[in-house]
Amino acid sequence: MAVREIEPIELELDRLEHMAESGYYNPYTLFDWPDAIEPDLPWMSESLTTLAGTPMWDELTREQQIALTKYEAINFFSLNIHGIRELMSEVVMRIHERTYANVSEFLHHFIGEENEHMWFFAQFCLRYGGKLYPAQPSLQADSVEHLSPVARELVVFARILIFEEIVDHYNAYMATDESLPHIAREINRVHHQDESRHVAFGRMIFTNLLGQVAKRDPAEVPLVAEYLENYLRYSIATLYNPAAYRDAGIPDALALRRRALEHPARHAAHERILKRTRSFLTKAGVGRELVK
Amino acid sequence: MQAVREFILDRNPKLDKLDDDLDLIDSRAINSLAFVEFIFLLEELTGESIDPEELDLDDFRTLNAIGARFLKQKAAS
Ligand SMILES: [Fe+2]
Ligand SMILES: [Fe+2]
Repeated sequence: MAVREIEPIELELDRLEHMAESGYYNPYTLFDWPDAIEPDLPWMSESLTTLAGTPMWDELTREQQIALTKYEAINFFSLNIHGIRELMSEVVMRIHERTYANVSEFLHHFIGEENEHMWFFAQFCLRYGGKLYPAQPSLQADSVEHLSPVARELVVFARILIFEEIVDHYNAYMATDESLPHIAREINRVHHQDESRHVAFGRMIFTNLLGQVAKRDPAEVPLVAEYLENYLRYSIATLYNPAAYRDAGIPDALALRRRALEHPARHAAHERILKRTRSFLTKAGVGRELVK
Repeated sequence: MQAVREFILDRNPKLDKLDDDLDLIDSRAINSLAFVEFIFLLEELTGESIDPEELDLDDFRTLNAIGARFLKQKAAS
């Protein structure tokens, strides 16, 4: 990790640190875990499933629809667990680097909170669904080799931010969705609360590192924009897990996945999910309009 | 195999031809972000499911390896 070429990061984090301290809770005692989920309730909001708004949803039986909400909830939480597990390990490696000395306090809160999120997401999946979906394979020779060290640092924190903002789109909606079982609503609500601080921090550190990238070589900014655009698309595509379709008893999972990903109603849904993030990236000067 | 070639060429406009023994991973013709889609494509072509926890990267390195591991096996069985 060549962080020596990167200037120390100074951010005004007093307010976020104070909120993290005063809002601290014990995740292991916070939730009342019921023995089972009511059989006819959706596990995630129907409007947030990957087939919502398409004829593919309407063609399902009610049993398949409920099963799809169940397995897509497990997929959503599994993505969270694996995604944050990988990104958190990047943060752990940096926590006492000189570059991050001034934000180390907040990084401790971040790591602690993410560890707790992993626990309650897994608890939900294992208790009620009996499993997690496995992590998607990743390659060691990664897609950032063409970027400078500072841009790679930016990418680490950008991935965390993008990931958290996408997840938060779902959490914010499900936190108040009265059609869901109480425990599902609670998990989404508690996560949404913690993530509002993470997103605020993520945007600050993103802006700082993007400034350093642009100062070093403005020509690298479009390369970062291209990487981020690919990452946004990749993140959306991971929501469409053929294993969840299969588990819900829906045939031709891979063909269904392809049809769903191409459907105009889903394109519109993707734009809604990414709206906040895209407008942030555009304002920061690293939006998709830079991608050739 | 045509579908596999198209998948790779579509994502790599700078590649005009694709050697059967080009290392697709080291050359970044398939990167992490595309790899998941690539696996789904192979599952669809072969009708075989690929367990993400068990896969061997060497089976995916070159068109030759992919052909031997996934496509011919199908034709032979
Ligand atoms: Fe989290
Ligand atoms: Fe977070």
